[in-house]
Amino acid sequence: MRTVTLTIDSAEVTVPKGTSLLQAAEGLGIEVPHYCYHPGLTAPAQCRICLVEVEGAPKLQPSCVTMAEDGQVVRTDSDAALRMRKGVLEFYLVNHPLDCPICDMSGECMLQDYVFDEGREKGRSREPKRVFGRDDFGGDVLYYGDRCVMCTRCVRFMDEVARDSRLTVVERGSRAVIDTFFEEGLEGSPFAGNVVDICPVGALVSKDFLHKARAWDLDHTPSVCTSCSQGCNIELHTRDNLVQRLKPRANHEVNGHWMCDYGRANYEWYNRAGRLEEPSSGRGGKRRGGDWKSALEHLFVRLVELAGTEVRVVGSPSASVEALGALLALAEAAGGAASGVFRSRRAESEDPMPGFPLLVRRRDLAANVDGARLLGFERVGDDEAAGGLEEVAAHDGIVVVLGDELADQSADFGGEAALYVYMGHFDSPAAGNADFVLPITTAAEEEGTFVNAQGRVQRYWQGLQPLGAARPAWLVLGALAGALMGGGTPASAAKAFAALAAAHAPLEGLSHEALGELGVALAAEAAHG
Amino acid sequence: MSEARFRNPGWAGNTGDFELTEAEVRGSEYVGRRSPDGGHPSVAPSLPYMLVAKNPEAPLLEGPYRERLGKIRSRYPTARAALIPLLNMAQEIRGHISPATMNEVAGILGLSEAFVRGVATFYTMYNKRPVGRFLVQVCTNISCNLAGADEVLAAFLEHTGTELGETSADGDFTVAEAECLAACGFPTCVQINSRYFEDVSPEDVPALLARLRREVDEGY
Repeated sequence: MRTVTLTIDSAEVTVPKGTSLLQAAEGLGIEVPHYCYHPGLTAPAQCRICLVEVEGAPKLQPSCVTMAEDGQVVRTDSDAALRMRKGVLEFYLVNHPLDCPICDMSGECMLQDYVFDEGREKGRSREPKRVFGRDDFGGDVLYYGDRCVMCTRCVRFMDEVARDSRLTVVERGSRAVIDTFFEEGLEGSPFAGNVVDICPVGALVSKDFLHKARAWDLDHTPSVCTSCSQGCNIELHTRDNLVQRLKPRANHEVNGHWMCDYGRANYEWYNRAGRLEEPSSGRGGKRRGGDWKSALEHLFVRLVELAGTEVRVVGSPSASVEALGALLALAEAAGGAASGVFRSRRAESEDPMPGFPLLVRRRDLAANVDGARLLGFERVGDDEAAGGLEEVAAHDGIVVVLGDELADQSADFGGEAALYVYMGHFDSPAAGNADFVLPITTAAEEEGTFVNAQGRVQRYWQGLQPLGAARPAWLVLGALAGALMGGGTPASAAKAFAALAAAHAPLEGLSHEALGELGVALAAEAAHG
Repeated sequence: MSEARFRNPGWAGNTGDFELTEAEVRGSEYVGRRSPDGGHPSVAPSLPYMLVAKNPEAPLLEGPYRERLGKIRSRYPTARAALIPLLNMAQEIRGHISPATMNEVAGILGLSEAFVRGVATFYTMYNKRPVGRFLVQVCTNISCNLAGADEVLAAFLEHTGTELGETSADGDFTVAEAECLAACGFPTCVQINSRYFEDVSPEDVPALLARLRREVDEGY
């Protein structure tokens, strides 16, 4: 690869040929203000705020489209550049309303940031600002025309990435607004929600998130979308121990800068009321709540009594690799064969993103279908995740259900079982016969890993405090398996994963630390073997 | 107001000093209606040409107009480049560019509807609403303004009995303001449909309107 060496703000940097000045500066940790440039889109150089001084050039150059050259001397903070930015920002504020107190973007707004950093103390415009009001674009998107800085990121996203040109700039000059084509709007576009993420100001906002929380009150936790087996990298934005919204997190091997609206909208289940909050034991009407200590001790005694009995387990494609691994370890320790089944809802078709084909809304509507397969779980049931559990339902040995809500099963489920353990987020009529009902955490309340449809192992982090006494499934199962085998309880998800990686060839050599924030792709044959 | 007082023959370039006809100045082949097929391919994609008869329901690509589209397309490497000439043609046929027309044009050229809308709304010379048989555009930019364009505009509004930007009750006249019409030597300039009227004073307005009505009655 050919490289060029240049000087930016008196620091020397070597970058591949074809790198823009803006990206080269970014590599040095220098942020050049920009609106129209977005790493996932083409740069039209129309916002005029990324202009920098290049020695020898007669005028300031737009850094988003000026390519780095050998020997260039660039100043991003020269007097001319600062004066220019101050002027451009003043022009932006001629019509931009100062409604930050009621604007959803406030706190993460690029105009707010830049004006705060480099803008004039007071605007000099005495003209009234023009007023457009707001426009419902359909779907989850609301447009505030007054706040728009005409960067056209949203127009280019729909053209280049969603390949569904539904947005355009209408009119010109100070009357220009972004608009949809008359009534049609963005309704029905599976990727339109991304325009809200890439809007640098509060012009495009999410209806779902509207006035729900201020940006500075949200905690950001890296996570993985659980809505399909693509496993888009996301951030959980949480407040008051509730997930408030999901935002995509850049990963060029999986989802670029994007995610689909299906995944984006599917977070309310994290906050659903009526969760299982404490461990309980006793069948049917005799069920009684208790604490983990007594529940696990009783369960351990029962497992020892029944040692050697055949164990049948039902896993969940939404459970972490660690949890599923621990489930198999428990089954093995209790004396059964180490295999299990899982059921997964499947969509009718895949939905690829035309301009970024790596991102596909997959048919499997759960995050860890491939992880379950990798560990030897077998898929049963139909595309609605129903049926297929006859052998388990009537089994007279040990039955362990992890994460599957058994929505289609009758109250007779597990009636014949010598021991029936139900671990889940929600109670279910089919859990009525369970000897032990154990509350486990959701993906937002625990650490863990998923394996996506590309065979990529990806970590997710804990964003919420567990509800009630719910505990991660890997911890509960790991403690039981450890007690039966004479080993200890895994101290962390990382340790649980390490133990699993040592025992399963496809995961060999991996650790939470090695996976990092972006995950690691398994060898192709391992992922599909 | 007598006809003799009316100095303006109704086309650009005549200062009233010479007894020349429009045909003598422009050449006879350029006078009157442009042929629907666009004439020579080199001039087919030219400026919007506005007819008195405006039929918003008229088909876009019938007969000679289909031929003109072929000529327009042959002048440009991409469909996108032919958009503005095709919008010109659509406005010539229908008098204005409605959302339905934008859809249709997008379909003809294989462009996105949103893109066509962006272009059509960017240019103020495309009428986005129906206009009367005569679209009267009075220049109120600086030269004309110094020469009393505001009074001319007021006279048009008074004699047509309409509001600025609106169409008179009989459907004959839409009166609008225009920015510079590039006839600063002959203020006030008024563009009516595709024709320029120069040196227009408020007193000229009744005779001018009478002449336009007469031309319509004569089937111009």
